[in-house]
Amino acid sequence: MANLKEIKRKISSVKGTQKTTRAMKLVSSAKLKRAEEVAKRSKVYASKLTELLNEIAQKMNNSDGEIDNVFFKENPNPKVVDIVFVSADKGLCGGFNYQTIKRVNKLLKEYSNVEVRLSGIGKKGIAFYRYNKLDMINEIEDLSASPSYERAAEFISKLVEDYIEGKTDKIILVHNGYVNMITQEIVEQQLLPVDSSTVDLDSVSMSELEVEPDDDDTLIDALVRKYIDYSMYYALLNSLAAEHSARMQAMDAATSNAGEMVQKLTVKYNKARQEAITTELIEIISGMESLK
Amino acid sequence: MKLMKLEIVTPLGVIFDDEVKQVTLPGSEGEFGVLPDHAALVSLLDTGVIVIETKDGKEISVAVNSGYVKVEENKTLCVVDGAVALNAEDSNLASAIAEAKELLEKASDSNMAIASAMSKVDSLSKGV
Repeated sequence: MANLKEIKRKISSVKGTQKTTRAMKLVSSAKLKRAEEVAKRSKVYASKLTELLNEIAQKMNNSDGEIDNVFFKENPNPKVVDIVFVSADKGLCGGFNYQTIKRVNKLLKEYSNVEVRLSGIGKKGIAFYRYNKLDMINEIEDLSASPSYERAAEFISKLVEDYIEGKTDKIILVHNGYVNMITQEIVEQQLLPVDSSTVDLDSVSMSELEVEPDDDDTLIDALVRKYIDYSMYYALLNSLAAEHSARMQAMDAATSNAGEMVQKLTVKYNKARQEAITTELIEIISGMESLK
Repeated sequence: MKLMKLEIVTPLGVIFDDEVKQVTLPGSEGEFGVLPDHAALVSLLDTGVIVIETKDGKEISVAVNSGYVKVEENKTLCVVDGAVALNAEDSNLASAIAEAKELLEKASDSNMAIASAMSKVDSLSKGV
């Protein structure tokens, strides 16, 4: 009989968990909708900004096909590489954070022969590297849940300054990106030097472009900075949308797993109940038999 | 009169996308107007007010903090960080003006630019 009671208690506890996971799924899907909307709107801006950068780069393009600007010059032997990662502040979202960490670890291995500096956004990733005793030069813990352009720009501008001063040769951004409701994809993006192969030089043919202020560097510097700030911000938005979709999925799976478990436990409970009744009946019958 | 396409894009979305007669922009080297068939141009934008003359002759002002503009023959694209549209026919003009002022105040450290933009915004509120 004690067994029966125990199973019953287990069932109600699993049902309680199921309620929580279901609620969390609903919350995530609502938040996902909002995050998706914001990401979608800023995608227009991002594409226009890239378009503008492309055209300016085209103008800067000198005869030997190289862009003569500090932001575009690739150092063939980088000595210092900066890795910036974006993770979530919260867990319970499946492999979301772990995938980012895995990719960062892969990069760490890849650049093991040079000095690597790590910068992190998001509690989970930071906690992981703290636990593994890896120092980070920059960290922010409460940005990934509520992305703000100003704070993202402030965060990345420290690294951009370092790049200009020659303290670092390369900046790589790693984050989890939103593809659709059920898929997330790790994005690894080289922020600096600006990968000129992404600049499609043939797409523009504007040679008669006037530029104001007419000192080219002022404009391109400002534009590249903007491009980087915005890439950082967009990474946060994208990562947030991915986080919510990952959590939605994880919670959906948890809810259906809980349902399965309740079913199994109910079967077990019924069997135990049957068994108890049968035993009782046998006892009564055999008692009566002995009285005859 | 000839028309040209004007697009104003901010990180929060597209705030203006239509045909216009003329647009006046706060360039970093000084304010300039753009009419259809303008020469190709790229410029930095300073804190200020973009004044648009729409195809039906109405005037719309948009306060911006900073950004870029690219002018092609009949297409003008403004990519700005923050913008508040001030439409004289809008019923929430007062709140939009307050919002625009806040944006301008935060945007720039050059008092000149703010003051000139502010006066434009103010003149708009008096016009109502």
